[in-house]
Order: sequence, then structure tokens, then C-alpha cells
Amino acid sequence: MNDALILRSAGERIALAVPIKGLLAVSGLSAVILGIVAISLMSGSYPLDLPGVWATLTGVPPEETASTVVWQFRFPRLLAALLVGALLGLSGAILQNVTLNPLADPSLVGVSQGASLAVVAIIVAFPGADGPLRPLYAFGGALVVAAIIQWIAMKRAGGATMRFILTGIGIAAFISAITSAMLTYGQVDQALSALGWLAGSIHAAGWGEVRMLSLLTVLLVPAVIWAVGPMRALRFGPDMATGLGVAVRPARIILITLAVALAAIAVSAVGPLGFVGLIAPHLARRLVHTGLGLQLVLTGLVGAVMVSGADLIGRALFAPVQIPAGIVTALVGVPVFVMVLLRSQTRTQL
Amino acid sequence: MSRALYLGPPVVIGGILLLFLWHIAVGAKAIPLLTVAQSFWAFDQTEFDHVVIRNLRLPRAIFAISVGASLSVAGALMQGVTRNPLAEPGLLGLLAGASFAVVAAIGFFGLAAPGWIPAVAALGALGGAVMVWTIAARVPGGATPLSLILSGAAVTAFLGALITLMQLMDEQTFESLRVWLTGTLAGRQMDVFLWCLPWFAAGLLISFAVARQVTALAMGEETAIGLGVDIARLKIIVLICVVVLTAASVAVAGPLGFVGLVIPHVARLLVGSDYRLVVPYSAGIGAAYLLLVDIAARLVLAPVEVSTGIVTALLGAPFFIWLVRTRL
Repeated sequence: MNDALILRSAGERIALAVPIKGLLAVSGLSAVILGIVAISLMSGSYPLDLPGVWATLTGVPPEETASTVVWQFRFPRLLAALLVGALLGLSGAILQNVTLNPLADPSLVGVSQGASLAVVAIIVAFPGADGPLRPLYAFGGALVVAAIIQWIAMKRAGGATMRFILTGIGIAAFISAITSAMLTYGQVDQALSALGWLAGSIHAAGWGEVRMLSLLTVLLVPAVIWAVGPMRALRFGPDMATGLGVAVRPARIILITLAVALAAIAVSAVGPLGFVGLIAPHLARRLVHTGLGLQLVLTGLVGAVMVSGADLIGRALFAPVQIPAGIVTALVGVPVFVMVLLRSQTRTQL
Repeated sequence: MSRALYLGPPVVIGGILLLFLWHIAVGAKAIPLLTVAQSFWAFDQTEFDHVVIRNLRLPRAIFAISVGASLSVAGALMQGVTRNPLAEPGLLGLLAGASFAVVAAIGFFGLAAPGWIPAVAALGALGGAVMVWTIAARVPGGATPLSLILSGAAVTAFLGALITLMQLMDEQTFESLRVWLTGTLAGRQMDVFLWCLPWFAAGLLISFAVARQVTALAMGEETAIGLGVDIARLKIIVLICVVVLTAASVAVAGPLGFVGLVIPHVARLLVGSDYRLVVPYSAGIGAAYLLLVDIAARLVLAPVEVSTGIVTALLGAPFFIWLVRTRL
């Protein structure tokens, strides 16, 4: 690591290697996020200038409307976008590291579809039951589908990566069909509310979603920090990981469950957002190569930039028509996915 | 094979006829089979049921037969020529390309004349196929089943997002297309079908004509060359056939996934790998299958009608997973 700044103190008894490039990337991304925050809070059908936004945030709004617009609509929406992006990015990074599969993504392996099915089923079948428990349903659905895919894909040895992806595509098609059938079957108003959620739209996010997202994120962050150790070992393959003292099977199951949980929370708040979990880890790696811990931080930041940026583009591009962020991430994500596909090496059995 | 030759055609044609009558009898109001038969032998303009059959149910049954046969033959040709058990118009991006082109033509350029729809759909299907093929061929390792399906999924996701985008820009124009996009045999008018009829006929006839050469190609390129097959020409003809059949199907029924995947495998299971038999049997079984699926779509959640495309996906996706587990 020649690009690290080494700090020594106390007679060389304590030394700390600071990866300069990594920290530069972190601060750069943070600056980008700040920029997106500023633009998001300023722009919209009620435009504000920067001092106006600052005044509103610090408690002296220029007008009463400004306070409502910023605090009730723009700010929670922005926070939700940032949190969702970070969660999806982390989920994708963990999935890719554990399965050693550069194409693993919460939506490509059916997790998003499982969460969607559970939530739509609840919205359509028990209209009253939706609400604070939504993340729980989403998590349950996602976990069941992830388990089914693992079970089917692992049945036979060899070619597991390929079977994993194809099985995921098949299950995704199956579950989307059930979801569509539910939408046909359900009452029109419930179906419409489910449909809006399904497009992966952040515009409905309010403080309730933000509270839920931030609470669960805070709960899961220690788990992610813990996960860095076993993930670092698993990156070398199962044999090496065993040699390094990691119980491979339990570690895999726990890590995949963690990834599913992260994605399910994000999906339950704003609906399925495709391709973020797939791309954020690749972009973070492209940005700078660092240790796994810092890489995860970078991936979370990249994910936050992607989703908040997609939301901003979606509402600014064709204003007053609002494009759901899920559409923007898909339009940006597919070309990147194709690039990843073209660069993939034959050893991943493509 | 000889048994299949003598027994097969009567069984398949009989099955299609039975399902055809049942399909017409089923619906919001069940019509007795006797009345269905009478409406053909002795059509009575004053009889309400007869008018319903003539104007609504008969067209729908004919759509099901043509679309089922065409998608299945398209799938059979693709599987034979690419020697890829997972080849299918839906999975390889042709359905998405055709739907995208139709939506763009109707919504953006106001091209609502029914005669144009199959042509536009053909352009889109060709575009989708070329995109998927170009991406898959450049993936390290070449156009394997996996890389083809992944690029198909990517292209489908991209075009799907674009379709949603167009819908959001102009919700009123697209209201009528919303149901069509889930794949349905209901609601299409006879005039669109009549415009598509030459496409169906030409595609199916050419497919039957090249079936013998496809058999040779399915045994491997070298074998085919040894048997005197002009491979490049054959591939272009097959591509045109597949595009034409897919385009006509999409124009009539929207994107119906997995039909072209399931049926050719069933046909091969029954008659072996000779495409002179596989292609016509795929057509027959495909027609029967789509009639059956459309009956199920109307009966399962009655009185609500499920889109036909949802049922084909519910039946086809598990089959796809089974293929992945056993054939790859």
C-alpha cells in the first residue's frame, strides 16, 4: 500500500495506515452528495435560492410556504433517497462478495420481486394491515424468495453461478406474473396504490418512511461492520476462508440474510429500485481500490448519490411530469450492466 | 416416429377443435356447446348468443390459434438454429423490441392505422434481436445460453423502462395500451388481425419449407455444411421468419412470454428431433396450448379476467427453471 499515509506515534508503538485515495474519494462523494442535497432542496415547482434554503433549515423561513415545502416534502424525500441508495448499494456489495458473482443484485436474483409480491399481496388482500409492518412483510417475502433461489440453484454441484442467475431470472418472471395477477384481482384503488409503489417512486416518501429507514439502518450498521471480517475471508474462495478460520456455510447464510434484509428495507420504503445494488459496487471499485471496509463505505455513498441523483433527474427532466426514480436507475443501469457483462471474465462461467 | 405420423395429426387437430369449441363456450356468460355449434350451422342474427359468438368470441379463438402457433414455431426455429434450449422470442428481447416499437409508433408518431402495426412491430423485433445478439456475441465466451439470456433481460429491462417513460409522458394515449402490454387476446379488433394474416401465413409457410434444413443445422454446423445446406442463407431466412411471426403475434396479442419456450420442448419430447415434424407439431400444440391458457385466464379468477400473458408466464417460468436445472 504505497498510496497510504502512515501515521506513527508513541515511539512507533501505534501506527495507522491512512489510505489517502480512499479518503479523497469519500470526501469527494460527500461533496457530491452535499451538492445534490442543495439542488434538491432548491428546485421544484416552488423554487428557492440557496440562502432561502439555509434560512428555512435553520428555522427562519422567508415564507410560511417555504417551511412547508422544504420540511414536509423535499427534505424527507431527499433523506429517503439517500438512505435507500446506501442500503441497496451495501446489499449489492455484500451479495457480490459472498457469491463471488459480479452480476449479483437484489433485483436480478429475485429479492426485490419477493418483497414486492409480499407487499402487494398485503395491500390487495388486507387493505387495513399495510403500514408500519410493511418492512417486515417485505423482508419475509424477500427472504423466502432468496431461500428458494438458493435451494434450487444449489441442488447440483458445478456451474452454480450461472444456475443462480438464471434461476433468479425465472423466479423473477414467475413472481412478477403473480404480482400482476394480484393487481388485476384487487380493488381498483388498492391496485392503484400498489402500482405507484411498484414503479419505484420516492415522491411519496414522508417522515414516516425516513424514520423507519433510519431506525433500521442504525440497527443494521453494526451487523455490516461485523460482516467485513468474514467477507474479507470469503473473497478468497471457500477453501481459503476455511483455512482462515471462517465457518463458510453459516457465514454465507448470515451474510446473504443480511444483504436480503438491507434490500428489503429499502424496497419496503420506496418500492423496487432496479440496478442500484448491481452498479454501485462496480462504480465504487472503479473509483478507487481500497480495503473492504472503506470500499463498503464508498459503495454506500455511491448508492446514495445514484438514487438521490436519479430522483432529482426524474423530477427535473420532464417537469411537471415526475419520472419515478426506478425508471431513471433502470435507464442508467442497463448500459452499465451491459458493460459489466462485456468485461466479465470467463472464469465466472459466463 | 411412424406412429406419430399416423396418430399425431388426428389427435392434435381433434384437440384443437375441442378446445376451440370450449374456448368459445366459456366467458362472462357460459354458452351451451349446442348453441356454439348452431351459430356456425344456422346463424341467426336475432339470437343474442350467436351475435356474441360471431363478433367477440370467434375472433378471440382465432387470435389464440394463430398467435399460439406462430410463437411456438418461432421458438422452435430459434432453438433449432442456435442450438440453445432456452431460445425464445420473449427471453431474447424480440417481444420487448416489438412492443416498444408499437408503443412508440402509436404514442409518439400517432401511427394508428392497423396496416402499419405489424410492420412496425417487425422492425422493433428485429432491432431487439440484433441488440441482444450483438451484446451476447461480445461477452467473453461468446453467445452462450447464459450470456444471451442476460443480454435479453437487460434489453427487456431497458425497453420496459422506456415504455413506462412514454406512458408517463402521455397517460391518455397509453391508457388503451396498458392492458395490451400485459399480453392479452381480448379487445383487439378484427381489422388488425386481417392485416396480420398475410404475415402469419407467410411466416408459417416459410418455416415449414425450411424445417428440413433446420434439422441439419440442429445437428451442428459442420454436419449441415456436409449435407449441402447454405448456412448463412438459412440463418437469414430463419431470422426473417422469426421476426415476422413474432411481429404479427405482438400486433395481435401483445407480448406473450414463454409460449415459444415451452411448446417446442413438448413437441420434441413427442416426435423427436426431426424439425420436419417438430415445426408443424409446435404449431398445432402451440395453438391448442394458447386456447387452453386463454380458457384458464377467463375461468381461474372468474368473473375477473386475468391477462393471458400472466398465465403464460405462470406456466412458463417454472418450466424455464426446470430447463435450467436439467439441460444446462
